[in-house]
Amino acid sequence: MPGLLVIATLADGALSRSSLELVGGARALDQGLRSGVAAALLGHGSGLGDAAKALHQHGVASVYRVDHPALDVGQSDAYLRAAEQVAHRVSPDVILVSADTVGREVAPRLAHRLKAALVTECVELAAEGAEVVAKRQAYGGRALATYVVRRKPAVLSVKPRVLDAAIPAPVQGTVEDVAVDLEAQPPARVREVIKEKSEVGLEDANIVVGGGRGLGGPDGFAAVQALADVLGAAVGSSRPPADAGWVPISWQIGQTGKTIRPALYIAVGISGATQHVAGMAGSRTIVAINRDPEAPIFGIAHLGIVGDYREVIPPLIAKIKELKGQ
Amino acid sequence: MDVIVCLKQVVDPELPARDFAIDPATRRQVREGRPLVLSTYDENALEVALQLRDRGNVKVTALTIAPQTTVGDAVRLALAMGADEAVVVDDPRSPARPGAEIAAMLASAIRKIGSFDLVLTGCESADWVERVVAPLLAEELAATCVTFVSQVETHDGALVVRRQAEDGVHVVEARLPAVISISSDETNKPRLPKVKDIITAKRKPLQTWSLEDLEPPGDGSMADVDIRDVAIPRRDARCEFIQGDPAEAAGKLAQRLRALKLL
Amino acid sequence: MAVALTDEQRLLQDTVREFAARELLPVAAELDQQARFPADILAKAAALGLMGLTVPEEYGGPGLDLVASVVAQEELARASAGFQTIVSVNNALVCDPIVRWGTDAQKRRYLPDLVAGRRLGCYCLTEPTSGSDAMSLRTVAALEDGEWVLNGTKVFVTSGVEASLCVVYARSENIPGAAGVSAFLVEKSFPGLTVGKVEKKLGIRCSSTAELLFDGCRVPAENMLGARGEGGKIALATLDGGRIGIAAQALGITRACLEESTAYVQQRKQFGRAIAEFQAIQWALADMATRLDAARLLTHRAAALRGAGRPCAKEAAMAKLFASETAMWAAHRAVQLFGGYGYIQDYPVERYFRDAKITEIYEGTSEIQRVVISRRVLAEA
Repeated sequence: MPGLLVIATLADGALSRSSLELVGGARALDQGLRSGVAAALLGHGSGLGDAAKALHQHGVASVYRVDHPALDVGQSDAYLRAAEQVAHRVSPDVILVSADTVGREVAPRLAHRLKAALVTECVELAAEGAEVVAKRQAYGGRALATYVVRRKPAVLSVKPRVLDAAIPAPVQGTVEDVAVDLEAQPPARVREVIKEKSEVGLEDANIVVGGGRGLGGPDGFAAVQALADVLGAAVGSSRPPADAGWVPISWQIGQTGKTIRPALYIAVGISGATQHVAGMAGSRTIVAINRDPEAPIFGIAHLGIVGDYREVIPPLIAKIKELKGQ
Repeated sequence: MDVIVCLKQVVDPELPARDFAIDPATRRQVREGRPLVLSTYDENALEVALQLRDRGNVKVTALTIAPQTTVGDAVRLALAMGADEAVVVDDPRSPARPGAEIAAMLASAIRKIGSFDLVLTGCESADWVERVVAPLLAEELAATCVTFVSQVETHDGALVVRRQAEDGVHVVEARLPAVISISSDETNKPRLPKVKDIITAKRKPLQTWSLEDLEPPGDGSMADVDIRDVAIPRRDARCEFIQGDPAEAAGKLAQRLRALKLL
Repeated sequence: MAVALTDEQRLLQDTVREFAARELLPVAAELDQQARFPADILAKAAALGLMGLTVPEEYGGPGLDLVASVVAQEELARASAGFQTIVSVNNALVCDPIVRWGTDAQKRRYLPDLVAGRRLGCYCLTEPTSGSDAMSLRTVAALEDGEWVLNGTKVFVTSGVEASLCVVYARSENIPGAAGVSAFLVEKSFPGLTVGKVEKKLGIRCSSTAELLFDGCRVPAENMLGARGEGGKIALATLDGGRIGIAAQALGITRACLEESTAYVQQRKQFGRAIAEFQAIQWALADMATRLDAARLLTHRAAALRGAGRPCAKEAAMAKLFASETAMWAAHRAVQLFGGYGYIQDYPVERYFRDAKITEIYEGTSEIQRVVISRRVLAEA
């Protein structure tokens, strides 16, 4: 039986990107552990077939598929029971779960039911001999904690958008359909999913422009949005604007919030609290625009302008348009 | 409805960087001499509990596992904000304990308190940020679990909550008893205690228990993990400041982005 | 903090500091520039219990000790001296005399409203021809058909525009000086009372300062505060508490100067280094911090004495004198530390400079404080 089990899910009817990140992480671990990688594919509908194929395409030979209508957006209790039942079937040593909305509820509860070791919100995974070494951020992103998982089984939840997605490595794979017994009336049931505005997905965007408390109010985001539009970028924010209701909470980048790793991140009016930095430090190029030359953001930015965003953004937009030939 | 709010006192996360240090012996943050505050989202959890109480027929109990010698301020604040009573489980080692251990101890304490309909916690602690206490508590107490909730309403003996999700909000119906972890939004900004409640807080019931007063954790305890190291990563980025008046600097920045092939 | 606070006082300090950070700091400059009365923030302050801090629980107040009140007021003044003026007058010059001298009916009628923010109080003592020489006041109160009829002019009334309850000192007896004065609780709505000129001031601009005109103002007999002829005694005893409140205001202003200066000098670089590295700058901060602590100790001592019901006229005068002169000195120093930027309205220190000055003047000028103190020194010799 494979030692590593990835809990794979669907997003918009196809294999989710975070599943591919887990596969990438699992395969890297398996180079050391050499115990085999399997996936529990949990979902519902026609997309499951292609998702299983995609898992085979990315090097996962054994796919345990659970197809059940209860495995729908946000239905943690269903995913938990399905994962638990597949885990009993497979008896893996290590289970990887994405720490997304559902995964962060499932992983600890799964570990409890399996009496497994638990490390959550991992940002790095490595194998050392037969042991898994996992790193996670602590103290609001100020420190990195290294855990050694000696006991099995272990459940590890992985922060989305931190690990690299698996590269294709097609294998001849199998799909076993697992029948599961799920609750007819789960204790928690999603009644409604309210999507929040974002044209370009924040976590997938190549360029992100973030706004912070320094914008002064929700109106300040007009300038941020205008800059994002001309760059084809997504818009995010640090915590204060989200807390104050200037922007939707799903725009928040940070330890609580989304982790992003775009090629370019422009922080406007953001002081650079470690909590926020923890969510964007992996960006390839970081630009900061802030009135305060002592703002901590300049400690992590590659390029900085000390100035009032109201005076910097308009000419920046104009020059970008000019250079792009618009 | 009986609501229990689990509180954790942490070193102020807004501490200046120069005061942040890790003790290599304990592999935890140095606490001595540092200001202690209620963990950020625990205040929001308390606010949600108090809003439920404002609507009527709710008793709020603040529960914390902490060194008794330092937790007084946090308990006083919770009672001054409006909690009806407080329970402190005195544990000098609690700041170093991982979330799984704390969850098991909280469950013992809650069973000793006796009755609960709803347990609220912060969605993550400001220091260790594991996000495990609420889900583990729910398992221990055989309760419904929903995390990262910003608003809680009661409806026909059950709850309707709004959970923050990647792409928006999930409206979730949850049966009682439930353990809900709370995240912040503009509806649950923690209230300031009224001056008169600051004075009367000391008249509210406060129980202090020792670890021996709790049932030891059952055999369901999870295999623990070893923390080998907690290190402060070095940041090597040196920021290049673009000079000139705002318009000039903006122009130069655009050129740099073009040169980096980012436009 | 130089003084040890109780656990409750510390929680109070944190709470009021947080309140000031949320509600006052973001708008303090604007309130001053627009000379705008902060009605909405006062309502929030009242909801927390800040408008009648020492009013006993049975009349709706939190029943705090005076030291705690000083701690809270320092936090308010640190954010906005003008805001704290309004709060201080309501607490020390209106609520306090009603608690000490009022009948049960008067307390029940006015204190809950003053605490809850439904009424704002003001204090009418000074007149165009009687400032330091307060007891030469000329406003008269004549008994007519069982009512007191007041005639006269009061000036420099803080919150004169917005207040609905006035503590008014008038001459009810045909005796000169303090013995002829009585105190009255006058509702703004009583006939014959109008608001006259509203002054434009150098500082504490978000509080209104007005002239109140009493022209046949009819006041029911049951609205006399204390006994006939006791007004002088009430005024003086009340001023002790008022002075402690102004000392608290001065502490807040001084602390603002110290905190802003300390932050600025660490940031500002000249001659290749932060100016915080120059000794002259360091010594200025040392002096500011020392004088602030000394002023605070004097203020807390006076508050502790008064709270314990002990005589405190000398100590209150010392606290007010020293704290106000410290605030003015500190603000003057702070503007200098900021250099050119200290003169610019984008930075807060010029406001502290303008706000500090009044603390040396109202509720007894520094000269009067020296008279009070020296009399005690000579009497005790």
